[in-house]
Amino acid sequence: MIHLAHVTKKFGTTRAVDDVSLEVRRGEIVALVGENGAGKTTLMRIAAGELDADGGTVNVEGRAELVHQHFLLVDALTIAENLALTHRGFRFTTRRAIEREAEQTIAATGIELRDVTRHVSELSVGERSKLELIKAISRKPTTLILDEPTSVLTPNETEDLFRVMRRLADEGTAVVFISHKLPEVLAVAERIVVMRAGRVVAESVSQDTNVNALANAMVPSLLAPFPASGERVAEGRVRGNITAILGVAGNGQSELAAKLRDDHPEGGHIPEDRTRDGIVAEMTIAENLALKSKRWNAREAAKQAERMIALYSIRANGPLQRAGDLSGGNQQKVILARELDRKPDLIVAAEPTRGLDIEATRFVHGQLRAAAERGARITLITSDLDEAFALAGTIQVIYRGRLSDPLTPEEASQRIAGLMAGVT
Amino acid sequence: MRRLAVAVLAAAAAVLLLAFSGALFGHSPWSLLSILASGSIGSRFALEGTLLKSIPLLLTGLSVVIAFRAGVWNIGGEGQFIVGGLAAIVAAPWGVLPSLAAAMLAGAAWASIASAMRLWRNAPEVLTTILLNFTAIHLLGWSVNGPLRERAGQYPQTDLAESALPLMGRLHIGIFIAIATSVVAWWLLYHTAEGLRLRATGFNPNAARWAGISVGKQIVRAMAISGAAAGLAGGIELLGVTHRLFERFAAGYGYSGIAVALLAQLHPLGSIASAAFFGALVSGAGELQRTANISSGVATFGQAVVILTLIVFDHVRADR
Repeated sequence: MIHLAHVTKKFGTTRAVDDVSLEVRRGEIVALVGENGAGKTTLMRIAAGELDADGGTVNVEGRAELVHQHFLLVDALTIAENLALTHRGFRFTTRRAIEREAEQTIAATGIELRDVTRHVSELSVGERSKLELIKAISRKPTTLILDEPTSVLTPNETEDLFRVMRRLADEGTAVVFISHKLPEVLAVAERIVVMRAGRVVAESVSQDTNVNALANAMVPSLLAPFPASGERVAEGRVRGNITAILGVAGNGQSELAAKLRDDHPEGGHIPEDRTRDGIVAEMTIAENLALKSKRWNAREAAKQAERMIALYSIRANGPLQRAGDLSGGNQQKVILARELDRKPDLIVAAEPTRGLDIEATRFVHGQLRAAAERGARITLITSDLDEAFALAGTIQVIYRGRLSDPLTPEEASQRIAGLMAGVT
Repeated sequence: MRRLAVAVLAAAAAVLLLAFSGALFGHSPWSLLSILASGSIGSRFALEGTLLKSIPLLLTGLSVVIAFRAGVWNIGGEGQFIVGGLAAIVAAPWGVLPSLAAAMLAGAAWASIASAMRLWRNAPEVLTTILLNFTAIHLLGWSVNGPLRERAGQYPQTDLAESALPLMGRLHIGIFIAIATSVVAWWLLYHTAEGLRLRATGFNPNAARWAGISVGKQIVRAMAISGAAAGLAGGIELLGVTHRLFERFAAGYGYSGIAVALLAQLHPLGSIASAAFFGALVSGAGELQRTANISSGVATFGQAVVILTLIVFDHVRADR
């Protein structure tokens, strides 16, 4: 379905994609893994016809549909209206008709999304990503490309997504799946392609590989010791200061985070949607870092930013680079630097590692643990089970706007699935 | 650099289209260009005329720059200019400085009506500021026909203001006030922490809120400063040029400020060049009317071309 041969794409002086050849066949699920900035998204945008390659040949049979990591939805319109927008050509229709159509379209995809009269602005991030997926599938693509689809989904939702992917593949659609989460990739993909710094560095059939081999291919430096978290973390103290609020997206997490932000303006707040709420894309890194400071002096701020760039290993050209041009992981590091560097006593981190690669995730976790170790109280709002269990000493489940009693990780592991689904 | 190039291109497009449009009326583009030039920069007299027009344009332009930078669409420069003039003439007996201070306060208060409605009722300021323009126009009409009408009672206008800005030939010292204001605006926006927060609010109010910035406070303050600048423009125009109020006192300066700000790419110092360009355009258009019998309204046409060119290029940039 997709034949890419020696494809190259440059942005300025960096080769985002460097001599990559890739083939995706009918009915096959291929995973594309790699760090942020490895060139996965760029490569797939080329395959989907959104970008032109600078060199090489691109051959796509039929129609390739790319579901973006960032949403391309009209907030002011309803689910039904957003789906109706995909309809080409002129026609007269009624609200009732497009709502009925939308319900049929959704039912045909096998994805669960209730009440098509809701406005996109009211949907949770998880629901928005489902809507994007429905939009793409409804166009009946021969190749479906999913960019980090699971980063906003819960385990159950992820299972549903995989079922949809397998069914589409059985029906003959080629599916390309971009991800950081290696266990998932191994579970769903038949073939795994690893990219690093714009090149394909490994390719294997799922049965013949494992998480460690893939991780080593993605990040050769992974085995190096990790400085920020400290050598001997006082594990009890760290966990004691971290409470995880765990739940399926859309159960009141956003409202909770906003309330905590307004009640504790002095705290450090990491918003769940970093492009919408975290970064001022048009401003420089230095300016973004200084948003909370009392004084502003361009030269001092640049110096300060340079220090932060080094300390938080932000991959950037310099303090005057536009924050919007950074990759997602590096944007998140800018937010972390701004929110944590003042050493606040209270930190609220909402989905702090969503969509980040292994190295960036480890970095964020290391920073949170370091903050907890020095005594900051951290509220970690997450839909990622592994994250909650890896960091928190107390877990509360959020369901339909209500919090469960505080649980220890041991108690939580017994009851978590039921609590997240609203069964007590 | 790219933004500067786009601005220069937009300005050049305006002048050229203006010149070529004269072909419709049987004038050669070249002769129109030379009339435009001689009417705006061709003589000391023309240059003074250009600068006189540039002063209120610079201040209303800065008014728009500050508001737009904070993400508030203050289209109410015209109304704030008018109430500035009204306050200035009322306070004129106490001298120039109190008169200008009153003009700024009145402009700020007038703009604050819009931000109050935005905060309390979430009324979009694009609408409220435009509606407040009409309110101000009628307030002015009523004033010059009623309480402020000249003692002779002959025309719908006020008596001469009781104080005036010091003159330098035909020019008045308002030009220094206007340039100083743009330097102050530049310093506020780019060299203070509050300016940083104001710009962040304009670019992305969500991120600003998450960074602990009070978005409401930023909007109210930006609106007040913006209104003060437009009010000051009205006060200076009154004390330096017209010396009295009449119904068509504002002459569109408030609206033209939008074109000035957009051509300046919302930069306070760029506004100086931008205001001078539009001042020259208005002056040159006056000469077109006198010698080639083309309506001086073509200056408005020039503004439209500038704005459209900028919008087209902004979209080209957004599509990339």
